[in-house]
Amino acid sequence: MSGDAVKNIIFRVQRYNPEKDERPHFEEFTVPVKHGTTVLEGLLYIKENLDSSLAFRTSCRMGICGSCGMLVNNNPHLACHTQVEEFHSNKLTLKPLPNLPIIKDLVPDLTTLFEKHRSVKPYIIRPDEEEMEKPAAEFTQKQKELDEFLQFTYCIKCGLCIAACPTSASDKKFLGPQALGQAFRYCADSRDAGQDQRLAIVDAEHGLWNCHFAAACSEACPKGVDPAFAIQLLRRRVVGSAIGAAKAHTPAGVVAPQTETRAKVPVPEFTVKPK
Amino acid sequence: MKNAYLNFAQMITGIMVAVLLFIHIAVQKLGVILSFLGFKISDPLAFNSMMERARQGLWAGIYICLLAFGLFHALNGLRNILLETGLSPAKMRTLTWLIIIFGLIFFALGTYVPLVLLTT
Repeated sequence: MSGDAVKNIIFRVQRYNPEKDERPHFEEFTVPVKHGTTVLEGLLYIKENLDSSLAFRTSCRMGICGSCGMLVNNNPHLACHTQVEEFHSNKLTLKPLPNLPIIKDLVPDLTTLFEKHRSVKPYIIRPDEEEMEKPAAEFTQKQKELDEFLQFTYCIKCGLCIAACPTSASDKKFLGPQALGQAFRYCADSRDAGQDQRLAIVDAEHGLWNCHFAAACSEACPKGVDPAFAIQLLRRRVVGSAIGAAKAHTPAGVVAPQTETRAKVPVPEFTVKPK
Repeated sequence: MKNAYLNFAQMITGIMVAVLLFIHIAVQKLGVILSFLGFKISDPLAFNSMMERARQGLWAGIYICLLAFGLFHALNGLRNILLETGLSPAKMRTLTWLIIIFGLIFFALGTYVPLVLLTT
């Protein structure tokens, strides 16, 4: 497609209202599409012009909030981050993310995702509670230490990795790539001292040993996070801890408060001074 | 914690199987390899050569270790696959014991002949 040429594309959308329908069914809508039109823009066109009852989640429209995850032609995508042209097809099939309950149409229930995420304690745990509650200064962290887990901080909790994961499909209690990736992200954080607590959670039934490294999660992630790699690194930590080969780790200390402050840049004479 | 140990053992046995299989295959093909370099030896696959090796403690040890590591690696791998079928913990425990018994029977069958040859 070039320039402003408009082409009609059929959006085949899975509809399901648990209050009315016995099972999901498909409805087709014809959507005019230009060069650069995203799947989300197509859905908004349907909502505004063809069927206002269509339900889907959207918020930021720029691949940051993780709201609009769905299956496009049976592959998990963020609708706002995916252009219709990418599929080289006159027909797109849209379904809600699998491995999660459906609230309505294309809206999955993400409750289990957030419950599992919360269960791995995705926050910095430190022995000095006083410092945590009333921080006096910043914790130190070198660039190299940050690089160890930086990519895993990009997770937007969209659920695409869970939709792609074959183990999540067969075991509903499996912690899943999102939660396991985040467990590693905090274990690898040099400021954290909660590794033992997290390893006990992930090294359990329905935990990290159920992953069989299909790596579909890493393929699906729209933010370039590699949860499959995180799970392998987490396994290394679990085995290291079990056989007593884990590296001794002391959580990073705080930066000493500045004793001298640098002189402020003098305000030029022509600047309007505050009263 | 149990799974952590099993995973570690799976890795170690995998490496050991690769090393011992390499030795096994290298010896089986030793005649071909050496003739390629201009040396002539008696065929390592001949009955007498095999019996001679089987009566040496080192070779019997290598083959018994290969059997033990191979059985552990294969049966633990099978258990991992079955773990994903979503069996209840009680059924999984029963299945684990069945796999252990199955492994021990195969190990006993596999080691019987080398042990008899070593002691006669």
